[in-house]
Amino acid sequence: MTFEHCVRCTICVENCPVYKVEPRFPGPKQSGPDAQRFRLDGEKSVDQWVKYCSQCRRCQIACPYGVDVAEIILKAQLKYGTEHISPFTAHLFANAYHLNALGSTFAPLANKAASFKAAKAVLNLLGISREPDLPEFRFFNMERGRRRKGKGRKVAFFYGCHLNFNRPDIGWKIRDMLVAMGCRVVMPRQTCCGLPALGNGDLDMAKKYAQKNASVLTSFINKGFDVLYACTSCGLTLIQDYPGILEAPGGKKIAENTYNVNEFLLSLLQDDKENRPLGRLEKRIAYHIPCHLRALGIGYPAAKIFEQIEGLECFVLDDNCCGLAGTYGFKKRNQDVAHKLGEIASIPIRALNADAVVADCGACRIQLGHYTGLSAMDPVEIIAEAMANSIDNKKKSGHGIKRLFQKTPY
Amino acid sequence: MSTLMHDVVVIGGGISGLMASIYLAGKGYKTALISRGDPVCCLSTGCIDVLSTALNPLDGFGDLSEMHPYHLVGKKGVEEACKLFKEIMSKSPIPYVGSIRKNREILTPIGTFKTTCLVPQTMAASLGCRDEYVHVISFTGIKDFYPSYITSRLSNTGFSLYDAGVSSTLAIAARFEEKGFAADFATWITGLELPPGKVALPAVLGVNNPVAIMEEISSRINREVFEIPTLPPSIPGLRLFRALKAAFQDLGGDVFWGMPISSVERHGHIIEAVTLATSARATRVQGKAFILATGSFVSGGLFATRDSVYETVFGIPVHVPGARKDWFWNDFFTAGHPIEEAGIEVDSSFRPKQTTLENLFVCGSILARSEVMKNHCGHGLALATGLKAAKVCERKLT
Amino acid sequence: MSIKTDVIIIGGGATGCGIARDLALRGVHHYLVEKGDFASGATGACHGLLHSGGRYVVNDPEAAHECITENTILRKIAQKCVETTGGLFVRLPGDSKRYRDRFLKGCDEVGIETSVLSPSKALDLVPNLNPAMEEAIMVPDCSIDPFRLCMLNAYTSRHRGGNILTHHEVIEIIKEKGVCVGVKARERLTAQIKEIRARIIINATGAWGDKLARLGGSEVPMTLSKGSLIISNHRLTNMVINRLRVPSDGDIIVPNEAVCLAGTTSITVQDPDNLEIDPAEVDLVSTQAEQMIPSFGTTRLIRAYTGVRPLLKASGTDGRSISRGFKIIDHENGMFSILGGKLTTYRLMAEKMVDVIMEKFALRTTCRTAELPLEGQDELSGYPLSKRLSNMDDIVCECELVPRRIVEQAINTMGTHYVGDIQHRTRLGMGPCQGGFCTYRALGIMQELGKVSPDLSLKILSEFLQRRFKGIRPALWGDQLREEQLVEYIYLGILNMENA
Repeated sequence: MTFEHCVRCTICVENCPVYKVEPRFPGPKQSGPDAQRFRLDGEKSVDQWVKYCSQCRRCQIACPYGVDVAEIILKAQLKYGTEHISPFTAHLFANAYHLNALGSTFAPLANKAASFKAAKAVLNLLGISREPDLPEFRFFNMERGRRRKGKGRKVAFFYGCHLNFNRPDIGWKIRDMLVAMGCRVVMPRQTCCGLPALGNGDLDMAKKYAQKNASVLTSFINKGFDVLYACTSCGLTLIQDYPGILEAPGGKKIAENTYNVNEFLLSLLQDDKENRPLGRLEKRIAYHIPCHLRALGIGYPAAKIFEQIEGLECFVLDDNCCGLAGTYGFKKRNQDVAHKLGEIASIPIRALNADAVVADCGACRIQLGHYTGLSAMDPVEIIAEAMANSIDNKKKSGHGIKRLFQKTPY
Repeated sequence: MSTLMHDVVVIGGGISGLMASIYLAGKGYKTALISRGDPVCCLSTGCIDVLSTALNPLDGFGDLSEMHPYHLVGKKGVEEACKLFKEIMSKSPIPYVGSIRKNREILTPIGTFKTTCLVPQTMAASLGCRDEYVHVISFTGIKDFYPSYITSRLSNTGFSLYDAGVSSTLAIAARFEEKGFAADFATWITGLELPPGKVALPAVLGVNNPVAIMEEISSRINREVFEIPTLPPSIPGLRLFRALKAAFQDLGGDVFWGMPISSVERHGHIIEAVTLATSARATRVQGKAFILATGSFVSGGLFATRDSVYETVFGIPVHVPGARKDWFWNDFFTAGHPIEEAGIEVDSSFRPKQTTLENLFVCGSILARSEVMKNHCGHGLALATGLKAAKVCERKLT
Repeated sequence: MSIKTDVIIIGGGATGCGIARDLALRGVHHYLVEKGDFASGATGACHGLLHSGGRYVVNDPEAAHECITENTILRKIAQKCVETTGGLFVRLPGDSKRYRDRFLKGCDEVGIETSVLSPSKALDLVPNLNPAMEEAIMVPDCSIDPFRLCMLNAYTSRHRGGNILTHHEVIEIIKEKGVCVGVKARERLTAQIKEIRARIIINATGAWGDKLARLGGSEVPMTLSKGSLIISNHRLTNMVINRLRVPSDGDIIVPNEAVCLAGTTSITVQDPDNLEIDPAEVDLVSTQAEQMIPSFGTTRLIRAYTGVRPLLKASGTDGRSISRGFKIIDHENGMFSILGGKLTTYRLMAEKMVDVIMEKFALRTTCRTAELPLEGQDELSGYPLSKRLSNMDDIVCECELVPRRIVEQAINTMGTHYVGDIQHRTRLGMGPCQGGFCTYRALGIMQELGKVSPDLSLKILSEFLQRRFKGIRPALWGDQLREEQLVEYIYLGILNMENA
C-alpha cells in the first residue's frame, strides 16, 4: 500500500518523460497513487490511458517517499490487459523473442525484406512505427555459439535478446573481455528475460519465461557462478521483477547474485592492482544513462571505468529518457512520443560535439543513433578498445590479444 | 554485496546535501551522494531565501532565537555560502542574481510579493514591477495559474492568454524548447501592442536553457520579461536541482539514486558504512565521514508517530517540541508552528549533540530550531549549513 | 420590502431539505433558510450510514423497523447518493453471544435480511477484517452521501417554485400579536438582510433547535451529544463494518467514496458551535476501529471531524440510550419544531411534518416522496468508483477526480462564491491533500467565471485554509503531517499568503 505515502508533491510528474509530450497521459501521480484509491473496489478496469506509460521507472526513482509509482501503474496495465482485448502489436511484441529467433534464422533475407519501402508500409499498417528502423538480425547469433571459455572466476552470462539476435558481436566482446580478465565464462541456455511480455500486458507469458530462466540460472548460482547481464532492462527484470511481480522460483537468489557487467568489471579492475589493463583512448563520448540503469540503483559503474581511461572525455547525461523504451516506441500509437523524446534527448548529445553516443541499453542505442546520427556504442565497446590499446595487454600476448577482439562468429 | 569506498558519503540530495557534496568533490574528495528520491527543492520557487525579516538579511540575525542554526554558521559563513552558490550557478544554464546584503521581492502567482535574496536570472526583472506596467501572460488550459489573482490585486496590470496547444506547465516548457516556438510567441506579444512596461508569465521557459529563451523573447519584444514561480510541479525548482546535481557529477561525484538506506554499520563512535536496499542485493557504501542532509518531514528525514518524532536513517534522538497536541497552533497562518522546531541538535562542529559519533555531520532543514517558515530562511540555511558542515568534515578527513 | 410565502423552513440539513422537497411535490410555496451550506449540522457530520436498522434492533425495534423501510425506499429513489455496499456486523472474541442471538431474532422480527458468515467467508468479502473474529452477519447497510442527498432534495424544491437561501442566518423571528409571522435573515458575507413572511415556520435546525425556538419565544429541551469521526486515506473496506455488541463508541466503519469514515464518540456539550476535537477522541476511535480492521491503527488518516447529535432531552445523561425517534412539537404560535431522528429516516420525518402542515392548511394532497426518484441525479457521477477512471481529461481536483466541467457546473448552478459549496457538491478538496492544490484552482475558476469579486477571493482562500486546518489538526502525524508541511510550504513559502 505504498500509495498511502503519496503527498501529491508532483516530483514524479516533474520526472516523467511521457507526460510532457503526451497530453493524453495523465502523468504518473494521477495514474498511480491518485487512481489507486479508486481501483480498490475490485471492479473491471476502465483506465485505458495507462497504456501511455512507458515504464521507464523514473517516477519511482524520483519519489522521495517510497511510493512504488511505476509498479502501481504496471499492475494497472496488467489488469487492464487481462480484462480487455489487447491490440495486435501488444501480442506481437510480447512474443518478441520468437519473432527475433525467426528473423535471425532467416537473417539475410529478413534484413533485406525489412529494408524495402513496401515492407515498411506493411509494418506500419500492422501498427509499427516508421522510425527508427528495426534492428538487423544476425544468423550467427549467440545461441549458436554458446561455448564456454576461459579459466578462473565463474561467470554465467545472460546476454539478452538484443545482443543475441542483433548484436552478437558485442556479446562476444564481453565474453572475450571477461576471459582476458581471468574469468571462466559460460553462456547458459536462456530465453527472453520476460520484460517485453510484461510490458505488453501478458503476465502469464512473462512468468513462463521467468520460470525457465530462473531454473537454469539458479542451478549455475548453486555451482558458484555469478550471473552477469549487459542489457540494463534484462538486469532490472532479473533483479527486481523475478523476485517480485514475476514470482520466479529462486528469484531472490538470482537478484542477490546478478551483476551488471560494468559493475563486475569495475570490481575486477579495483581488485587487480598490479596490471593496468586499460590503455589510452582518445575519444569524446556522450554517455547516455538508460532509465533502467538508474532504476537499478547501482550508480553508473561504466562511468567509473571511463574515468580510468586516459584520453577519454566522457560526459554523463542522465536527465532524459531516449523515448524508445524497449518495444514502446516501436508501436505506432507511441510514435509521436518516441519521436519528441528522441529529439529532446539528442539535443545535449549534439551540443557536446561527441564522437559517439554510449548507452548500456540496446533500445537507447537504436534510438539515439538514429536521432543524433552518431555511432552508438555499448560501454563495453569503449572498454574493449581501451583494453586493446593497453601496453600491458599488448606486451602480454602480442597479436593474440588483437585477434581476441576482432569480430568472430563464435 | 557490492562495496564501494568513498571519502565522504552525503545522505540526502537536496540543496544542503548538494552544496556539501559539490564543495567536497571540488576539493578532490571521493564523494558519494545518496538520495532516496528527488529533493523537496524541486518544488520550491527556486529562489534562495536567506532571512526575510529585515531589508539586509544579515541584519535579521538579531531577531533569531539564540539556538537557531544560523548562529553556528555566522554571518560570514552565510555570505561565503551564497557567494559559492552564485559561482556554481554562473557556470550552469541558470545563473542567479541578487546580493547577500539586500533582500528583494518577487511577484507570486496570487499577486503578493515574496521577500527573498538570490533569484534565478529569469526572475530578475520581477524587481521593481510594482512601479511599472506589467502584462501577465498565461496559457489556455493551464490549471495552476490564474492571472486574475494578480491583476485584481495590483493596479497597472493587464493580461492575455496564449494558446500553446498544451496545458500543463511541463508540456508548455517542452514546447518552449522547440525550435521557433519562442519566436512565434514573441511575435504574438508584439502584436498585442502593449503599453511600455514588463511582461510576466508563469515559469515555463523551458527546463534546460531558460535564460537563452527568455533573452530571445526579451530582445524580440524589446522589453523585460520575468517568470513567476508556480505551484508544484515547479520548473524553477527542477532547474535548480538539476544544475546543482550536474555540477556535482561534473566534479566526478557518484550519485546513488532512488534507494533508501536499509542499514547502518557503526563501530564504536565511527560510522563505517551504510547499505542501500538496492533491489534485493544490497549495495554497501563505505565512507570515512558521513553527512546527513535528509531534510524535515516532507522529505522524510524526520518522521512523526502519534506521540514522537524520529530521525529516519541513523535513529539520532530528535528534539521534539512537546506532545502532539502542542505541535500546531490553532491558526494555520501563525508564523511558525512549534513543530518547525523539531530536528537534530548539533554542536559547533555540526555533530549531533545527543550522540558520541565522531564522523557524522548534520546540515540543512533537519537541524533543530531552523523554523524555516517562520523566518523564511529555507534554502539559505541549507546552503550555509551545508557548506559549513562540509568544511568541518574536510578538517576531519585531513 | 418583505417576501411572502406559505412556509418557511429554517435549517438546510436532511430534515429541512426533505421537507422542502415534499412541500414542492405537494405544491406548497416555501422558502428554506440555512445559515451555512446544506448539511452543515449533524447531517454533514455523521457517518454517512444508511442504516439497515441492525444497530437498533435489540434496544429500539420500532426505530429499526423505520430504518429498514426507509433504507429500501432510499435505495430505490436516491441511487446516485447511495452506494449499496452491504454491511457486516462483526463479532469479536469476548462479545456477547446472547446479544448476537437477540440481534438475529430482532432482525428477523423487524424484517431485516441477515446472513451469517464464517470468518473465512467474511474475509473473502473484506480481506482487511480482523482474522480473529468469531463470525460476521451480513445486513443491507449502505453508504450514503448526505450532501448529495440534501442537494437533490433542494433541487426538486428549486425546480418546482421553492426557494432556497443558503448562507443566510435567521437573526430574528418576527412576531405579531404573539404569533410568529416571519423571519429576518442575514447573508453571511454581505450582511444584507432579507425579511420573509409566512403562515407557518418550521424549526428544523437540529442542534440549534432550542436556540432558534427561543427566538420565537419557545423552548425545546434537548441534549446535545458531540460525536467525532476520523477519515482514512483509502478504502480499507468496501462494506460497512459494525461491531456486534451493545452500541457504543467507535463501533462503525463506513466506506464513503474513496475513503473510510470511522466513529464515533459521544460527549455531552452545551454549545453546538465552537466544537473542538480532542486528540483523545481520535485515539479512542482509532483503537476501536483497529479491533475490527487491524490496519486502521497504522493507516494514514487525512482528517477528523465532529458534529452534534440533536437529541430530545431525557432524564438519563448517556446520549446514546436516548431514543433516536423524532418528535414534532407544535408551539402553538405559528411555529413548529421537528427534532431528533436520524439521517436514514429523514424522508419519513419530512413526510410527517408536511402532513401536519397540510392539515393546517386544510389541503389533501398526499405524500409522493417515497415513490418518485430524486430529480437531478443524471449529471452526477455514480458507482462503482473505478468507473470514474475512464476519463481523466481536465481534472481540477486530482485526489478526488473532479473534472473542470463539474466544478463549473456547480459554480454556475449554485451562483455561489463560497468555495465550501463547491467542495460539498463535487468533493473537491476532500481527498488526501485536503484541498491543498485544488482550492487555489477552484477559486481561480470562480474568478474567471466572474463569480467572485477579486478582493474577496484571497479572503475566501484564507478562510477556507483555516477551516480546513481545524479538521486536519487533530490527526496530524505520519504521512498526513508530511502533507501538511508541504501545504504550508506552498501557501506560506511560494504564495506568501500571510502577506495577502
